[in-house]
Amino acid sequence: MSEPRPEIRQARAGYLLFLPALVLMIVLLILPVAIAAVLSASDYALGNPGFDWVGTDNYSQLLSRSAYRKMMVATLAYVLIVTPASVGLGLGAALLIRSLRVGQALYKTVYFLPVMASLLAMAIVWEFALHPTLGIVNRGLEALCGVDGLRAALSGSWAGLAPGATWFGRGCVQGFPLWLGDPDYAIWSISFIGIWQGFGFSMVLYLAGLSGIPPELYHAAEMDGVRSGWERFRLLTWPMLAPTTVFVVTVTTIRSFQVFDTVEALTDGGPVRSTYTILFAIYEKAIRQNLVGVGAALTVVFLAVVMAVSLIQRRLVERKVHA
Amino acid sequence: MIRQFSASQTLAHLVLLIGAVVVLLPFYVMVATSFKSPSEIMTATGGAFGAQAPVVSRSCLARGGTDADCATLPVVENYREAFAKAPLWRYMLNGVAVTVSIFLLQVLVALPAAYALAKLRFWGRNAAFALVMFCLLIPVHAIALPLYVLLARLGLTDSYAALVLPWTVSAFGIFLMRQFFLTVPDDLVDAARMDGMGEFAIVWRVMLPAAIPALLAFAIFSVVAHWNDYFWPRVVITGNRDLFTPPLGLREFKGDLDGNFYGPMMATATVIVTPLVVAFLLAQRRFVDGIAMAGMK
Repeated sequence: MSEPRPEIRQARAGYLLFLPALVLMIVLLILPVAIAAVLSASDYALGNPGFDWVGTDNYSQLLSRSAYRKMMVATLAYVLIVTPASVGLGLGAALLIRSLRVGQALYKTVYFLPVMASLLAMAIVWEFALHPTLGIVNRGLEALCGVDGLRAALSGSWAGLAPGATWFGRGCVQGFPLWLGDPDYAIWSISFIGIWQGFGFSMVLYLAGLSGIPPELYHAAEMDGVRSGWERFRLLTWPMLAPTTVFVVTVTTIRSFQVFDTVEALTDGGPVRSTYTILFAIYEKAIRQNLVGVGAALTVVFLAVVMAVSLIQRRLVERKVHA
Repeated sequence: MIRQFSASQTLAHLVLLIGAVVVLLPFYVMVATSFKSPSEIMTATGGAFGAQAPVVSRSCLARGGTDADCATLPVVENYREAFAKAPLWRYMLNGVAVTVSIFLLQVLVALPAAYALAKLRFWGRNAAFALVMFCLLIPVHAIALPLYVLLARLGLTDSYAALVLPWTVSAFGIFLMRQFFLTVPDDLVDAARMDGMGEFAIVWRVMLPAAIPALLAFAIFSVVAHWNDYFWPRVVITGNRDLFTPPLGLREFKGDLDGNFYGPMMATATVIVTPLVVAFLLAQRRFVDGIAMAGMK
């Protein structure tokens, strides 16, 4: 009887235990990336008997057509609004909450609620809240117009400005925006919902980061004459939070690139493609219109961008660790 | 000195309270609207929970009832409509089935793989771990299109399999579990081997119980993501309403800008948001720590 040596038994068990994960990772993650790369060079459509190779045509479409230029503008706008705002609000909320003597748990709970709630459901509620005539937002703003003192203060008419000179004053005179229906406001409204939903997530990560800073550092800084809260933040808290910040920024950026629920349910990419973000574009082109080749090209671009963001993050974290 | 300190505390509370009002506003709108009658919704009256003046149920009228038989409270009408208009129970059950299957399969795949990466020596282990790290870079929503094409070619769209299969492997789950297993002492594993346990038995009888805290963190992460997911079901469930998950069911209501619809729609939204929110309120620490732990890879 030849019982294998323990090392060999262990190695064999290792392969067997890792095998299912390996197969699934290849089939469900690696293979699809390869498929996307291949399809992006074709005019493949589901249901058609064959397809032709079109080389880089799909990609040159992305560069030349105005729809895709608008897509890039909308996607970047969303990412560039939502990421800094979520990270900043998350950090601000975490710092404020940490400074409290009572009520920390309450605010933590409240700010984290939107992270738990289905974004689609909450998007539909926000749509109702932002409804031009029925919504609580415009009704609230109009009610403020009715309060003479407030109206004067907010519209600047106390300083002699014309009633329509400020944003608020103009709103009182001409009505407040359609929010989701106005090309100038739609991307901001969608971004606002994204920030509302996501900053609690940043807050939790920052709270975890803050609790990892040893209190002795603050005592030492106090000894060294660091007195003001701002100095303490600039010299101590912020540098100590650097790894957290790198992580929060990357995660938020990647999540922002993937915005879909709000766009599909509330604006359908419009008005005039002002909210035509990339994941929605992939969905619209490839799934709704069955232009799989174009969708695959978009997928490849998307993957490249998101993976680049992740790799930059890893570099930054590694440098921080070694420095 | 003390006075100044309380001033800054008051200011902090003030800022956080204003934030809290904005954060809670849509939850308030959702629940309040689900309680109101159509006319209260159109005119923004009725306060927080509506006046609850009886309304006439439209579906009851349609069944041939008289006005007197069909009088009901707006809140009852809205929630009854929510469950009557669409098979909401079915959608919820689908949501539970899909979410639970995904999590169980993820654990079934990730736990042995993580154990192998953390505790077993074999040729190629570093390459295997590098592969996991590479897969972590691939956002699954981004490769939805090729996955969809694959499933369509296999004739698997519009099936539970389509909702569950793509999520069975979680590179993130493998990574999280591996990091956790690294902290489990080797002595524990060696002792189990001395007792004559095979590696498979060790995974399920020694490592699984040891990994409960990490598994819980991962469970929260996975369940929150998949219960709320809208994108993937939207892609693969093209027609069969029997397979709808809660977000897809809610989506069905959309489109009619009419006070008669807002009540039931908000009732539906309340129903699908409630399970996770209640779970969160009951076990907040766990949720927040879990998400922070899962987030902080």
